[in-house]
Amino acid sequence: MTQELGKVQLLRCPPGTSFQDEGRKSGANFGIPPAGAMDLKSYHWANHLLQNPPQSVSLEFSQPGLSITFDQQTFISLAGGQAQVLVNDQSIDNPSLICIAPGDRLKIGSFQKGHYFYLCIAGGFITESYLNSGSDFDSVTESANKKTGEILFYKPRPKILDQKAKVKWNSTWFESPILEVHPGPDWSLLTQGQQMELKSRTYQLSKNRSRMGIQLEELFSNKLPDLPTNPVFPGTVQLTPSGKIIVLMRDAGVTGGYPRILQLTEDSINQLAQKKTGDSISFQLI
Amino acid sequence: MRPYYQQINPTFGEWTWNQNPSDQLLSFQLAYLHYLNSHWINEIIEFRQGFTRVSIVWKSPERQDQFIRETEGLELIPVLLTSKVWQVPVCYDSIFGADLTHLAEEKKISSSKLIELHTTPLYRIHFFGFLPGFFYLNGLDPLLHTPRKSMPSASVQSGSVALGGSQTGIYPKESPGGWHILGRTPLSLFDRQKQPPVWAKPGERIQFVPIDAQQYQQWNPNQPQFIEQ
Repeated sequence: MTQELGKVQLLRCPPGTSFQDEGRKSGANFGIPPAGAMDLKSYHWANHLLQNPPQSVSLEFSQPGLSITFDQQTFISLAGGQAQVLVNDQSIDNPSLICIAPGDRLKIGSFQKGHYFYLCIAGGFITESYLNSGSDFDSVTESANKKTGEILFYKPRPKILDQKAKVKWNSTWFESPILEVHPGPDWSLLTQGQQMELKSRTYQLSKNRSRMGIQLEELFSNKLPDLPTNPVFPGTVQLTPSGKIIVLMRDAGVTGGYPRILQLTEDSINQLAQKKTGDSISFQLI
Repeated sequence: MRPYYQQINPTFGEWTWNQNPSDQLLSFQLAYLHYLNSHWINEIIEFRQGFTRVSIVWKSPERQDQFIRETEGLELIPVLLTSKVWQVPVCYDSIFGADLTHLAEEKKISSSKLIELHTTPLYRIHFFGFLPGFFYLNGLDPLLHTPRKSMPSASVQSGSVALGGSQTGIYPKESPGGWHILGRTPLSLFDRQKQPPVWAKPGERIQFVPIDAQQYQQWNPNQPQFIEQ
């Protein structure tokens, strides 16, 4: 069976590299977070270019890029951030769709734009599915992360893609600092003055960020009460008693005890995922 | 105990109770969850339960509008909570319960008194959250309510039984954590190979039963025991 599968080897990969798809739509009642690609928009785009089924498993990675080698001819697609992409040390002008020959070495250098990259392969990576998703998550899948040296498998697909039809990936959609949000369930606990302040200020992304959440640099002083633990979702904005603002992302636990003051739209979650530490954002209520 | 429905955005809203968490509130919540499951499941992407809310993500704004229209004035009869009590063995030895002695000193009680206060109540399971297999329990003795650590521990071992704020619970896997560690259970809390991956359900109860280090070593992690009470 294994000889029918395509193989790629991770020659070098940054911490936090993982398999991701659309994530899990069930399991929250057991405390299992949805996981899934941090930037679902880029993930879907990369799969779409390869004409993969929408739930195909991709490789998500971040700075400082990765290098990978392939054992046979295939097509890959890259979306998300922007970086220098090399195949056998030759720079690739448009990495949206790349035809790979056996033995090719792909290298993605440090990022010029964005925070997450998605590498999709024709046919999709093969991994154990749990609750209809192959997204890596500690204690739910065999491992939480991919490591340097690891070999990944995929199901080769003989179909040849028309490279002339390829469209160049555009990153302008995540460059706007304005995130569209809805008021969160606990929005009404804020005073009118606090609500105005939250809407009018700009914030910077701190270096405290992971697939679980992104903490903002500026503090927002408040005297909100302790609340009973209640449901949270990716995109829920929490305010801690010490004034930290934390935007929960795809791997966040399914419940939380801090006031839930805002809820990002799905597009805003993808947009925020691609922001870098130090980037400015502001919240626009819709 | 009729909740009101708070629409948060076009496809998301919450049933909201403003009472404190209690057995009574849970028995109503479970009735409303059952109603969602039997009447609206095809219109819903996902719903989640907390102590005082049930959050619902709808497939479309129209579905949510329809739900709001059709459930106005809805009043359900609470479900009868089960008599099932899980007996959770806990070794409170200092090798596992790093914070127990210190906490007892802070409370000006003996370690054995603290263990007694922790093992006497029957704790009600309200829902799962935080980590896969972590259940939220209600019923901690007010004397044991303790602010969380100001500096969370970088690593709390799997199975650690701990308390923080007005809560007590068990870490189902190794994780950073800000709760005070009292002991450890040999039981496995989450097993992805099993369907379902957890052995307890919301509405059931937990009792912590003290065991010694030798019993801990010999305990079968995969056979949780329960009694009817």
